[in-house]
Amino acid sequence: MLNTKPNWPILAVMVGISLTACKILPTKSGDGGNAPAFNPDKIVEEIWAAKVVPYLQEKAGPFAQVHTLATTDAAAAGAKYGNPNKQANSPWTFAVRLEGRIVAANTQSRAATVDVDVDGDGKADARVQIGPAVRGTALRDSLDFIQFNDFTNQIDFAQFGKAFNSYADKTVLSKLPREALEGRSAKVVGAYTLGSGQDLPLVTPAEAEIGPKP
Amino acid sequence: MKLTRRMTLAAFAGMLALGTAVPAYAADLIAIITPSHDNPFFKAEAVGAEAKAKELGYEALVLVHDDDANKQSELIDTAIGRGAKAIILDNAGADATVAAVQKAKDAGIPSFLIDREINATGVAVAQIVSNNYQGAQLGAQEFVKLMGEKGNFVELVGKESDTNAGIRSKGYHDVIDDYPDLKMVAQQSANWSQTEAYSKMESILQANPDIKGVISGNDTMAMGAYAALAAANRKDVIVVGFDGSNDVRDSINSGGIKATVLQPAFAQAQMAVEQANDLIKNKKSPAKEKQLMDCVLVNGDNAAKLETFALTN
Repeated sequence: MLNTKPNWPILAVMVGISLTACKILPTKSGDGGNAPAFNPDKIVEEIWAAKVVPYLQEKAGPFAQVHTLATTDAAAAGAKYGNPNKQANSPWTFAVRLEGRIVAANTQSRAATVDVDVDGDGKADARVQIGPAVRGTALRDSLDFIQFNDFTNQIDFAQFGKAFNSYADKTVLSKLPREALEGRSAKVVGAYTLGSGQDLPLVTPAEAEIGPKP
Repeated sequence: MKLTRRMTLAAFAGMLALGTAVPAYAADLIAIITPSHDNPFFKAEAVGAEAKAKELGYEALVLVHDDDANKQSELIDTAIGRGAKAIILDNAGADATVAAVQKAKDAGIPSFLIDREINATGVAVAQIVSNNYQGAQLGAQEFVKLMGEKGNFVELVGKESDTNAGIRSKGYHDVIDDYPDLKMVAQQSANWSQTEAYSKMESILQANPDIKGVISGNDTMAMGAYAALAAANRKDVIVVGFDGSNDVRDSINSGGIKATVLQPAFAQAQMAVEQANDLIKNKKSPAKEKQLMDCVLVNGDNAAKLETFALTN
């Protein structure tokens, strides 16, 4: 019995739909089609000394202080040392300065790291990346003037993150010594992202010095 | 029932006479459009969005575009024609979708994109996507570790029209290519498909018996690849996927696939509906259009906590 009486209103609805559906729109050409090609390496090179390093120098807190606050009250640490423009669902990334003694080194992996004791108890407090493979996007994510919304898509944003790591490796990390690192002093300004795992906080340097053999 | 129906229709006809096409007798409608539910990931999105829509008092119109941009365009027309108050969309192509979402916007219907981005801003109200690059880096780092930083490997890539296929591949390579002793001997698209991954893996394995690992752009392809490897008695090959499906969780728990990366699909779809509700009821738009949600590595340590694209505590 469904189709006996109410034909007329249904027809009216159909007409309504087809009229809406037939609206003619101009074909959009892709946004940014004529924009100059995105060159993340060049942008990082241009802003590194002028903006990135000064920003981190200014914002960074001593590692022990930042990390203690971060593990007790991440939001408070974020307000002080973090990037306030981070994505709402992302963990905080903090700007830190760190000075201490290298207690362990992993130079077997290409993602080489040194474990640094900052409070003198002989135990590692942070793991510092020394390249050539540099993981994560901590440097990019620590900067309040870099926002995902300003990029065409995730790929551009991702390449930009990678460009920071490459630049840090090329200009800072590749100049560091690789042999007999244990016992030497280390001094770093950089950033780390608050993780949930048991691993040591992984710091990516923007500036790094490793002292002479003891 | 018949009487009620006639009365409603009569009322509806009256409404039309007054010049409005909105069926005021029903709850407000939210259209939920995703790729095919054959992939449990997209099904989880649709289920999550539908549940949240109903919870907030909406009627839900659940549709699938099968990754066909033309079909997607027709479904957007359907949503417009039905007077939807908002569209939740996991789209069928970063470029092809811009016009379709614009069409909805011109008709006064806000779109909330999930999972996949489009190559334009200011057209959709929100683009809530998993941080596929961050997730791919997690997966690749685990893969590199499992491989011991060396050996031959295969990459299975997703559907080319899906922007995430490219992002994940890029994320994988940005990590893996830093290790010169890891050599990619084959890279093929299996279009997110389990059966296609099975047959591609079979022929890749014949040509390259000396492979040590397979990194896959999603879980369904990882499942297909692992099945082909198991059939060839090569369960020693390390397989890593992406999505965090229950199938891969079970495989990890039984010592098959080694790892995957969880995308919070369910939570993401629900968040999109909440933001749509906020706009419909409170005229409040999300603070940022583009919103990234971080992914989480899933391996033997935490696989047991995974259920329907969410980790329990």
